[in-house]
Amino acid sequence: MAKKKSVEKKKAVDFSLLMTTLILVFIGIIMVFSSSWPEAMQDFGNGYYFLKKQIIAATIGLFGMLVCMNIDYKVWRKYSTLIYIVALILGALIFTPLGITLKGARRWINLGFTTFMPSDAIKIGSIIFFANFLANKKKDISTIRQGTIPALIVIGISCGAIYVQKDLGTTLTLAGTMMSMFFIAGMNLYHLIFMAIGAVGLGVLALSGEHNAYRRNRITAFRDPFAYKLDIGWQAVQSLYALGSGGLFGLGLGKSRQKFFYIPESYNDFIFSIIGEELGFLGTLTVILLFLLLVWRGIRIALSINDTFGCYLATGITALITIQTIIHIAVVTSSIPTTGITLPLISYGGTSLMVYMSAIGILLNISRHANLDRS
Amino acid sequence: MARPSYSSKKRLLFVLGVVIFISTFLIGRLGYLQVVKGEELKKGALEQWTKGITIKSKRGIIYDRKGKKLAVSVSASTVWASPADIKDPDKTAKEVARILNLDEEQVYSKITKKIGTEKLKQWITREEAQELRKLKLSGIEIVDDNRRYYPYGNFASYVLGFTNIDNNGLEGIENTYDKYLTGTPGKWVKTTDAASRQLPFDGEKIYEASDGLSVVLTIDETIQHFAEKAAEETHTLTQAKNVSIIVMEPKTGDILALTTKPDYDPNEPRVPLNEATKKQWENLSSEELQKRWYDMWRNFAISDAYEPGSTFKIITAATALEENIIKPETHFYCNGFVRDIKGAVLKCSRWYNPHGSLNFREGMNTSCNVVFVDVGRKVGKETFMKYIKAFGFGEKTEIELNGEQAGIIPGNIDNIKEVNLATMSYGHGIAITPLQLINAVSAVANGGNLMTPRLVKELIDDDGKVVESFPPELKRKVISESTSKTMLELLENVVRDGTGTSAYIPGFRVGGKTGTAQKIIDGRYAPGKYIGSFVAVAPADDPQVAILVVVDEPVGQYYGGTVAAPAAKSVLEDTLNYLEVAPKFTEDEKKMVAEKVIVPDVVGKKIGEAGKYLTDLGLKYTTEYSDLTSESTIIDQFPLPNTEVQKGSIIDLYLNIKPVEKIIMPDLTSKTKAEVMGILDDLNLNYELKGEGTVINQTPASGLQISTDEKIEVEFGDT
Repeated sequence: MAKKKSVEKKKAVDFSLLMTTLILVFIGIIMVFSSSWPEAMQDFGNGYYFLKKQIIAATIGLFGMLVCMNIDYKVWRKYSTLIYIVALILGALIFTPLGITLKGARRWINLGFTTFMPSDAIKIGSIIFFANFLANKKKDISTIRQGTIPALIVIGISCGAIYVQKDLGTTLTLAGTMMSMFFIAGMNLYHLIFMAIGAVGLGVLALSGEHNAYRRNRITAFRDPFAYKLDIGWQAVQSLYALGSGGLFGLGLGKSRQKFFYIPESYNDFIFSIIGEELGFLGTLTVILLFLLLVWRGIRIALSINDTFGCYLATGITALITIQTIIHIAVVTSSIPTTGITLPLISYGGTSLMVYMSAIGILLNISRHANLDRS
Repeated sequence: MARPSYSSKKRLLFVLGVVIFISTFLIGRLGYLQVVKGEELKKGALEQWTKGITIKSKRGIIYDRKGKKLAVSVSASTVWASPADIKDPDKTAKEVARILNLDEEQVYSKITKKIGTEKLKQWITREEAQELRKLKLSGIEIVDDNRRYYPYGNFASYVLGFTNIDNNGLEGIENTYDKYLTGTPGKWVKTTDAASRQLPFDGEKIYEASDGLSVVLTIDETIQHFAEKAAEETHTLTQAKNVSIIVMEPKTGDILALTTKPDYDPNEPRVPLNEATKKQWENLSSEELQKRWYDMWRNFAISDAYEPGSTFKIITAATALEENIIKPETHFYCNGFVRDIKGAVLKCSRWYNPHGSLNFREGMNTSCNVVFVDVGRKVGKETFMKYIKAFGFGEKTEIELNGEQAGIIPGNIDNIKEVNLATMSYGHGIAITPLQLINAVSAVANGGNLMTPRLVKELIDDDGKVVESFPPELKRKVISESTSKTMLELLENVVRDGTGTSAYIPGFRVGGKTGTAQKIIDGRYAPGKYIGSFVAVAPADDPQVAILVVVDEPVGQYYGGTVAAPAAKSVLEDTLNYLEVAPKFTEDEKKMVAEKVIVPDVVGKKIGEAGKYLTDLGLKYTTEYSDLTSESTIIDQFPLPNTEVQKGSIIDLYLNIKPVEKIIMPDLTSKTKAEVMGILDDLNLNYELKGEGTVINQTPASGLQISTDEKIEVEFGDT
């Protein structure tokens, strides 16, 4: 069968997934332009500053997506260990003189011609490596020695590499993503109970101690943001104001008031609230439905591929996008405590856009090998 | 190639389910936030986006009944800071503090506050505004504002009142009609970003202020002016604590003038007009000062009750006449005392020389207490109290001013003892406000109708259109037309023949009554403190004007006829002329008026001689000097000689009371008596010479500056 397939003419990619991605990226460009205008005008005297950078990133991302779409995904399996190590080294570069600090966080490295955010590379590198790791384990995955413990070590290394950058949101996203892959690959559900207990323990640890006071503040502010409107609840309240003033139909594209410095860096971690303000509930609903469509296609691909590595890789990529999207929207709607995380494909950020588009390119390549009812 | 296990597929579908579940929750949450709670959140958002600046409405004008402006709003500038826009707070604070004469540190703390806008100084001068505008300091705004201005200064202060720094009425009509005068303030709304900078859209909305209505008073500026002048003069002359004058139109209850002196300037209501008082207040604590201010703003005419004395006999008389208990010709006898009341002997003011047999008309003219005690007892306490209440005593007149008192009348008829009834009939043992009295007397004069005193005629808008008018309001009918007529006739007699002659004006039939009462302070008669008053109406056949003059604690003379009646006369005369009330002369007066007299030349004559001469010609004269002797010579006169005037006119005479000069005392040493006399006579000095020989001593010493009225003592002796 494998032989037969190789001589078969290449199947087409999942068109719905491709279109959904492109539409989301397009919405992202428009919204980045709209929400970044005031800050771009103030800081650079050029309202198109962020738009330009986003369009360049999207163009490169599109190129990356097209390339990945046409590279047989099995290639990644071959180089998975190498990719993982390179990604981890990139992450470590932050702590060398190459690392740069922007807006109080040391999360970028300077490549000379541009800056690069290694956490995005770590995410995708971890997914590829972990997919291979899980595919190799086969039945042993449900055992504690061969399965759970080694898997947790890999997850620990990946998340640790991100956690040292003081980026809890991304750490949790990646942990969630890898746990999802582990779960799909056949995690022993009894072990899940212990892992849950461990997670609670880690959570308590993350909240206690003098240096974690800011996290406790976020939970306090989450409980009643309006009581702390002027300090720790500021962002949450401003986000709610934005969503509320958008109403059903929104104030109209470009007409957000909240992006005028009420919401800091509104083109990043709170872009979804600006969408809500300008395009209303109808706008936010549309974006969520587009993401759901993307998730559904991703899971369809994972279901349809007759290859465990492909299945786990598709699961990982889909889970990454899904979890990050859910966390972003949950933060913006004050459904969970505030943590800074971007909206995939939409928020401003070159590395992230390029990596995500390329990842979807991989996903699209997997779709070529799957038995899909292409629509 | 390994296929994914069946369980993997099951788990994938499970995960899809979880994702759909979470997404549904998030969609629900968004719907709740954006649609259900949308309006509420939007309100909060709008609140932080919009910064509103209140646009003050223009305060209405206060007019007199003829349309003269008594209180207006003039534009003045106020300086505001918007801290967000201030670039260099140090420099800004320094410059602003320098130009506006403020404390630099205070300015700095104000302009660095985390606040939209902050007021720095209200009502700056035009120069300050110009200088500040020139500097173009960012974040410092100069806004045109309105300031209340009273063009006549301390004029009708107790009627107009004043406003505070924010243009809210605090006293007088400014306070009672504040609601109408203020209007509705507008708002200037702009949407701003988080740093208070205006947003590119929405622009700004201006909700125009609707200006306040203007108030038209019943006060007549001209009559008020007469009253102010007379009160001021009386105040200076009598050195009284307060002099109050109220002029009322009896038929309508319109207050034409109301003043109390000393008063204050509503432009600067916290600064006393008197320099000495100003000095005195400098060292007072703020609480003390507050108390003084409220004392100064207290409107004596409506807020202080006093014992009226004989003016109240008008009420007693009107009651008795209305009840048909007496007639003007009813016979009485005054032996100086009333002795048949248990526990008290009441005296007539002329107990030392009793009036003897007299009728009621004469009793009224002489203000005989014995007659009125008799009348009061005949009326009885029930009836008397009924009328006292009917005339409005013991209740507020409901004038549109704050702080009105109701006065004190006996609350329970059973508590009125015979002695109370007796003293009340001549105005003792009862406390009333000046306004109550003039209102009651107006009722007596206008045919018996007690009116509500009216101070505001109407409210008009910017175009002068009447928005609301307040017609005269009849409270109740108290006495009949015929009683009113009789009363006017009796009152006219008092002025023509009785105690009120100093208010007599030929041609105008003035009716009036004097009153003098000892002041009650802390429930006791205060020795040496009196209130002299005079109430009058004119003309008696058709009253146009009622006037009450109350002189509170005059120094020296205190009879109402002496301290209050002349002021009433001057105001009445001016007012009747101003109102163009045609004089009607009686036969006697006509004779006097018909006869024209050529004014003789009296300049150079001694005052005694000239006075007799003028009187013989049927002329009257006045001099302004109190210490003249019949030897004083006249140096000028007005009207000038050979002018034709009516008989009875007044000639102003000016006398040569030596003006006091300063000269240098000459050296008289070693001079003989004859020489000294020659020198001192030349200098027109008074002197006293002692001893014989040549001068050995002189006081004052030579070379000193002395006044020409100083007495020089010179001692002579042998050298």
